[in-house]
Amino acid sequence: MTKVPLPLKVNGSDYYVEIEPHRTLLDVLREDLGFTGTKESCREGECGVCTVSLDNKTINSCLLPAVAARGKEIITVEGIAASEELHPIQKAFVDCHGLQCGFCTPGFIMSAKALLDENENPTEEEIRSYLAGNLCRCTGYNGIVDAVKQAASELRKLNKV
Amino acid sequence: MITKDKEKVQETTVVGKRLNRLDGPDKVTGKFVYGADLDASGILHCKVFRSSIPHGRIKRLDISKALAYPGVRAIMTAKDIPAHIRYGHTLKDEVVFARDYVRYYGEAIAALAADTREIAEKALNLIEIEYEPLPVITDPEEALKPGAPLLHPDWKEYTGNPALIRYDNVCTHASIDLGDVEKAFEEADYVFEDRYTSQMAHQGYLEARAGMAHVEADGTVVITSSTQNPFGLLGNLSEILQLPTSKIRVISTGVGGGFGGKLDLGVEHFVALLARKTGRQVKYLWDREEEMKAAAPREGSVIYVKTGIMKDGTIIARQGKVILDAGAYSGDDTVIASVAALVIRGSYNIPNVKVDSLAVYTNKANCGAYRGPGAPQTYYAIESHLDKIAEKLNFDRVELRKQNALKNGDLGPTGQILESVSMEETITKVVEKIEMDQPRPKYTGRGLSCAIWTSAGGSSCAYVQLNDDGTVVLITGGKEIGTGAITMGVAQIVAEELGLDITDVRLVTGDTHATPFDFGAQGGRTTFNVGNAAQIAAQDVKWQVLQAASEKMNIPLESLELQNKKVYDKDNPTTNISLAEIAADRVWNGGPILGRGSFIIQPTEYDTSTIKGGVYPVFNFPSFHTHAAEVEVDPDTGEVTVTRYVAAQDVGFAINPTGAEGQITGGVVQGIGYALSEEIIYKDGFVLNPNMTDYKMPTIMDVPRIETILVESSSKVGPYGAKGVGEAPIILPAAAIANAVADAIGVHIHDLPITAEKVLKAIKQKQDK
Repeated sequence: MTKVPLPLKVNGSDYYVEIEPHRTLLDVLREDLGFTGTKESCREGECGVCTVSLDNKTINSCLLPAVAARGKEIITVEGIAASEELHPIQKAFVDCHGLQCGFCTPGFIMSAKALLDENENPTEEEIRSYLAGNLCRCTGYNGIVDAVKQAASELRKLNKV
Repeated sequence: MITKDKEKVQETTVVGKRLNRLDGPDKVTGKFVYGADLDASGILHCKVFRSSIPHGRIKRLDISKALAYPGVRAIMTAKDIPAHIRYGHTLKDEVVFARDYVRYYGEAIAALAADTREIAEKALNLIEIEYEPLPVITDPEEALKPGAPLLHPDWKEYTGNPALIRYDNVCTHASIDLGDVEKAFEEADYVFEDRYTSQMAHQGYLEARAGMAHVEADGTVVITSSTQNPFGLLGNLSEILQLPTSKIRVISTGVGGGFGGKLDLGVEHFVALLARKTGRQVKYLWDREEEMKAAAPREGSVIYVKTGIMKDGTIIARQGKVILDAGAYSGDDTVIASVAALVIRGSYNIPNVKVDSLAVYTNKANCGAYRGPGAPQTYYAIESHLDKIAEKLNFDRVELRKQNALKNGDLGPTGQILESVSMEETITKVVEKIEMDQPRPKYTGRGLSCAIWTSAGGSSCAYVQLNDDGTVVLITGGKEIGTGAITMGVAQIVAEELGLDITDVRLVTGDTHATPFDFGAQGGRTTFNVGNAAQIAAQDVKWQVLQAASEKMNIPLESLELQNKKVYDKDNPTTNISLAEIAADRVWNGGPILGRGSFIIQPTEYDTSTIKGGVYPVFNFPSFHTHAAEVEVDPDTGEVTVTRYVAAQDVGFAINPTGAEGQITGGVVQGIGYALSEEIIYKDGFVLNPNMTDYKMPTIMDVPRIETILVESSSKVGPYGAKGVGEAPIILPAAAIANAVADAIGVHIHDLPITAEKVLKAIKQKQDK
């Protein structure tokens, strides 16, 4: 099949790939660019483990043809921390036992980031509503809700400084 | 909330603390490597060609077109496997590839390796097959009837554990006979009988089964996969590959959820065979459709339960028949049948018990271990049945449970003497917290369920290596699968013994050639057993450190103590030497310090005359549990919403309370899915919902915040008094929720899952009466 040239901007850096046009953003991120922090599970947009940010909106990268990400800003779990330190959301997931096997965690972190970008002080109900597109099979979700609350509180403090 | 047995509280600095898990940072940054992430340059991709019908004879199988497709490197079928090879843990009835017959929809017929995943998928469609369909048996009760067609006409030739009792379509028949149940039913004031059914359910791990393999020059096969049980795979791999176990190396990489589903072979035998055939490295990642059609789910079941009870509420007799729908091969149901038999009596001191527990072949996927195997459906049956009895006799359902609850010194179902029994305490605390007696609005209900559960045994080993900077490496064949058993529990035990911080402990785990034996991440056993082995290894290190310090400081060993990463002279604490200095001296000059621990639980004594055909005859160091659910039922749609959920679990001692609570909250939510929505739906032997859209697992919106109560009734053998924790939380939600739904609508539903359709039908039928 004919390949198409595709420039991509991932986590602030520019990449150039030549790909078959039907390939998903998930596969290109994982297989061509090595961003394996974004996970693969259902490949049909049901589980949320492949969630990434595209121009500040979360998407299931398993459903998006990579060519549709041309010219857009892609952020993956590898790209959300500004430095070597964990991002406050990442730190909160560790502190609050918001993960066990961790396979769903990158997707939850991307969704939580989108939530907190929109709403700096969400209620538990708002958290649960926003994160309903991500499945977790280990935690029972208590720790995830706690993590998002802690992260919200930390980010509010940081934003005030 | 934690309640402690005050006399047994120990002064500790690391165990008992809410410390963060060691693998957290890697997992939140995407750096953690799972089986699904494995890759290598030039790797080949495996796909498996699976049966498209539930039962039939293979008339023609033609792989020539697929093999000729560019980029396909090898295809293997039953022709490539010696005909005598059948594998299995307790019963060797399974085949690598269907030979002449297919027995379930999704059974492996051929496996191929190709240059890319896409080529592999395309080539699958070029394999040609013709079947002669055979009658399909999907109902295990039909399979039991005289004259039912035999799924395995050659069953007598299969080898297995000689304790198994097998006949016709029955691959296991375990029975328990305690006291005299017939006489007790005659003496009972009332006798009640019920029948319950339950569905097939998938573990729902988010990382599909994945792994890869290559072959070394001497023929050693190296397999890396997301297995929960690297050593546990060796026996079956040895049969299939016809290699000694020592020439197979299984390395367990990051596991993206297991819950029992990754204990047995999934990808490993396929990639090993294809790696050997092609001389290349081969990877196989299952897709979701394969997971739902051909993994190792929880079996469906039919459960009959009969109880004899006196006017004063004393339960004197319990009889049960459990029929497990094992699927086309026995899988793990040979063991699960025994476990279900133990559970039928529940957490009550019933003196007369008779159980028959059968695993039966049908034309469905063969079933395996899923967290709390055999228990959720059995507790659902007996605890629903008990609530019905309480209603009919006008007993208080809490008091009825307390009155009959197991107590210290009572006998277990097979005659074991029970110790550190906290049954009543868990009931009292849960009832108080959920406010069982408070008035409730119409269509709101509360329900209760109680259980006894096991801490699985099996051997565990650990090394603790003292590094030259005074930190340690824990080296064990045990495997962290997400529970925190190793990255919290065992690491904390090692740190505690040596006076280190948890972050001073590095981990090397789950590699059959690099780490010492462990029986696998199963049965809530890791913290208990690997923890014990690691504790012994750490104590060994400590002793060697003190001995080295004694020589170096010229002070008798008895006068020394290790604290705060220094060895002190107890009489003169200003005289001390750092652990790092001793460690470095030993690494570079005196022979490095390596601690060694090997552990196995002594078998629990029981009355061997009470159980027949049972390969899991007794609860090891049992734990005790009470759960309560509050639900709201929408009378117009039948939809059930769990509004509150409280679980009390006796964990013996919480090595990490946060970790223990995380096991409970996770297991409960998984159990809520099992209770209300999850089902692999079969029709005429075909799976109707092989995807995550129609297999409905609970999202964060579907469940309330789970409330936990840790009870600590110390066990004699677990590290610091711990009991097994991880498995049990899933065993009670279906029972508690079923009872809450019955409380809300006044009708007991006898079939899991309790879907909106069933609830609405029950409400309508009640209104029509």
